[in-house]
Amino acid sequence: MKRLRKNLSDYMISKQINYPKPDYMKKHLLMMALAIMSAFVLVAQKSTLENVYKLSMRNSGVIKEGTEVKGYFLFFASDKIDKNSNEYTLQIIDNNLKKLKEIKFVDSKHVAILESSFNGTDLIFLLYNDDENTFEYQVYGADGKKKYTYNRILTKKEDRYLKMTYLANNGDDEDTYKGIYPIEGLGFISNMPSREDKDYTFQLDFFSTQKRKQWTYIPTLGGKKFIGDYLGTANGVVYISILKYSGAFDKKPESVIVGLSLENGKQLFEVSTESKQLFYPSSMFTLADGKSYMFGEYFDPSGNIAKDKSVGFAFWSMNEKGKIESEKYCSWSLDMSKFIDVSAKGKIDDFGFMFLHNMVQTADGSIYAIGEGYKKVGSALGIAAKVLSAGRTSMSTTKMKITDMILLNFDKDFNIKGAKIYEKNSNNIMIPDGMDFSSTPLLGKMIKYNFGGFDYSYTQVTKDATSFTVCYSDYERSKDYKGSTFNAITYTEGKITTDKINTKSDATSSIILPAQQGQVLILDYYKKAKRLDLHIEKLN
Amino acid sequence: MTLSYMKNPIHLVAILVCLLYGKALLAQFPSTYIFQKDDTVLRTQYLQQSVNKHKAAIASITQYSSDYKEFYNQQFEQAEGFWESTRPVTAPDIQAYLQEIVQKIITANDELNGTDARIVFSRDWWPNAVSMGDGTIAVNAGLFVFLENEAQLVYIISHELAHYHLAHTQSAIKGYVEKINSKEYKDEVKRLSKMEYGANRKIEDFMKSLAFDSRKHSRDKEAEADRKAFDFMKNTGYDRLAVKSCLQLLDKIDDSLYFPNSFSVNTFFNFPEYAFKPRWIQKESALFSEMKDEESFRDKKEKDSLKTHPDCSKRIALLQNDFDKETANGKLFLVNENLFHQLKRDFYFEMMEESYRSNSLSRNLYFNILLLSNHPDNKVAVYSITRCLNDLFALQKAHKIGLTIDAEDNGYPQSYNLLIRMLSRLKLDEILQVNTYFSKKYYSLVQDDEAFKKELIRLHDFKTN
Repeated sequence: MKRLRKNLSDYMISKQINYPKPDYMKKHLLMMALAIMSAFVLVAQKSTLENVYKLSMRNSGVIKEGTEVKGYFLFFASDKIDKNSNEYTLQIIDNNLKKLKEIKFVDSKHVAILESSFNGTDLIFLLYNDDENTFEYQVYGADGKKKYTYNRILTKKEDRYLKMTYLANNGDDEDTYKGIYPIEGLGFISNMPSREDKDYTFQLDFFSTQKRKQWTYIPTLGGKKFIGDYLGTANGVVYISILKYSGAFDKKPESVIVGLSLENGKQLFEVSTESKQLFYPSSMFTLADGKSYMFGEYFDPSGNIAKDKSVGFAFWSMNEKGKIESEKYCSWSLDMSKFIDVSAKGKIDDFGFMFLHNMVQTADGSIYAIGEGYKKVGSALGIAAKVLSAGRTSMSTTKMKITDMILLNFDKDFNIKGAKIYEKNSNNIMIPDGMDFSSTPLLGKMIKYNFGGFDYSYTQVTKDATSFTVCYSDYERSKDYKGSTFNAITYTEGKITTDKINTKSDATSSIILPAQQGQVLILDYYKKAKRLDLHIEKLN
Repeated sequence: MTLSYMKNPIHLVAILVCLLYGKALLAQFPSTYIFQKDDTVLRTQYLQQSVNKHKAAIASITQYSSDYKEFYNQQFEQAEGFWESTRPVTAPDIQAYLQEIVQKIITANDELNGTDARIVFSRDWWPNAVSMGDGTIAVNAGLFVFLENEAQLVYIISHELAHYHLAHTQSAIKGYVEKINSKEYKDEVKRLSKMEYGANRKIEDFMKSLAFDSRKHSRDKEAEADRKAFDFMKNTGYDRLAVKSCLQLLDKIDDSLYFPNSFSVNTFFNFPEYAFKPRWIQKESALFSEMKDEESFRDKKEKDSLKTHPDCSKRIALLQNDFDKETANGKLFLVNENLFHQLKRDFYFEMMEESYRSNSLSRNLYFNILLLSNHPDNKVAVYSITRCLNDLFALQKAHKIGLTIDAEDNGYPQSYNLLIRMLSRLKLDEILQVNTYFSKKYYSLVQDDEAFKKELIRLHDFKTN
């Protein structure tokens, strides 16, 4: 699944660093050099010090503002202070790989960074202490100075959920749990689910970057368990989609959209998503005119979001008071089938069901939806395990097959104008027992957020919206090449092109990371030469 | 050992263009240029001398063998790489001119008699001169094009000769090797290696103190080389106040803030049939946009302590008494003033082409655009831009363009940063379009040029394949 993903730290502790040569000033940009330059410039002078001076890389990641990559962070333990604490160094590198800042601080030896985000002015880091079960949010301003620190203690359920999902998936900030969302110039929203067996809830926090201010929202009324997704923020209102279960055995949750005041976190409205159809929004995006729309799949008005197959997908716009201003429904059978061979229940032949990853409006007003296919298939391993264990295994008899990418084109009124499938090799995801009968949208969210199973990586849009690029990973087995590939579908002023980078090259191994719009950061590691070359490349 | 550490060498080009394209020189800049033909036999001889010097150095080692070998090998690799590249200018006429100047210094100083220093111009674009420690001395084209007279060149050569004559590189190597093999150093390493807590901080402090010592030593050696250079110039007949004017010049090069932009990508790449697209250079929000550079890592004191060269103002101050006593009897030119100015123009082309050979394509494009912006009839620039854009297309197709484009840097002129940004955002097809309309615009100027025709065929092949 994570074909292209490998922790950068694998490469961080190499002693041999190929520095940019000052004589020719090569563009071999070396993140390792950026990361630990001060230490190893000196270490390199004398080998006897190498065994003494050790840096323990904790983690690294991409700093994003929405879909745009703004930089990278490297977090490592730079010294042992005593038996319980370390000195840490947090290095922040911009998207040109220029080292911007180095922050040193002493903290417990159990600290790691889970996530970071940028909201156009301020930068936030989420630090997790797995011994004390605490989160610390550190906010840095545009001047590079620390502005605020927010702390909170995780409940046991939250901690367990974190360990089952995010941490189990190697802390990948792209495909799995994503908990911090930027609100331009104002702050960040954090969404932290907690689940234990059948007990579900979540906590939403807002951290201001304008002044020291924080509020928390925990759903309590009208239900026993809750699944909540942060949809987006518009005009001072934070929109959340919630599935409310009346009890542990409730099989038909109520779907609502809750609006919170961005100012103080107070609930402004709660609106049922049962209107002309039963809507289950997955995210929200804003058009060029500033109007925001929620998008997601929909069901028959009397249907069950947790069990049924969806009828199609929908776009809703809702004002600050929770009034639905417009509803647009595109059914699989009537609308989509004009462009792609679709079965009556949203199953596109061979493609499976569609999970919508993102929506983009281009400068000419057209709207594009980026989706990926998935479908249930029987798991031979799961069935065998079930038979052999007389049904006592927790392994599901179902696995999910991740299929192709799809790009849908709509006009400004959300009428479908075109659709194209981009084929790729399929992957399989085993799903836990008990989820076999969940609805496809719920399974889609599970694949996305819990298992990190989709190949889709990210979408980047230019500021003027004349171009966007969708990136995803694939695996090729042709006679010319066998290995991972990094793929891109690029829209530029009405024209769509595709590109592919083979991640196996003359280098021992290559890693491709998101970079600025339309670009990727390629790390070529040459094992024999103990060299790591970094170069930023454009996608064609 | 180098003459001066240039923080932002690219700014030289902006100044250089302003200077070169002053009214007096504007008309003289050639629209075509025949590149210098190097004397490969001489280059091979010089390389062989470096080989012999390296062997002799290795043979002279009596203790700490592996440490000395490591440094001598590094030193040799630098010289070997230089002589085996296209960087040294060994064209007979130019070398004869340079040697005539060098000879004036040697003749005026008995102690330099019999020196085996091998002094050449280098095609490197950055403003610097270097003594590699084995007798190889290079004066970069990127520095020479900025000089005002032979006397300043004599100071630069004298400074590098002083480093070599006073064996500064050898003494630095010796000092370092002896230091790391001293009991005091070894005991400290042993003590640090046994520390369980806070060891890295202590090691960092320890190594920092070593670095400070080493850099201070370097700065002292620079001051010593300046003084010796001033002495070397005494009986050459050249004006010794050129030392001061040259150091003042170097100080200006270091100061990046005064230099104007000399072209705008928005207008240069805007064609009637194919308009410039604002998104190519649109500014994006940036992390820590309000952070000042000096706040980023080291404080000023630490930065100063890590400099290998003293500030030029400090270097001038150290010699000020001598400048005050100096009477202006010396000459600014003694060998060939016309050739000096001719070389300043020629070397612009040489370093421009060398940047292409060394795959610094964004820089090559920048140099050529500067040239064409100031000399719209320059055929070399038109051909070179077309060729460079073709190369960029091929590299982008192979996802290798990033290895040939600089990263934006606050130290670069705005025009260069915007060019870099544009190159990093142009789509594959857009490179073709830009090249098509650029070559169309200048077609009438270069239509008879065979090399340009070949580039047009390449461009056509890219479009049809």
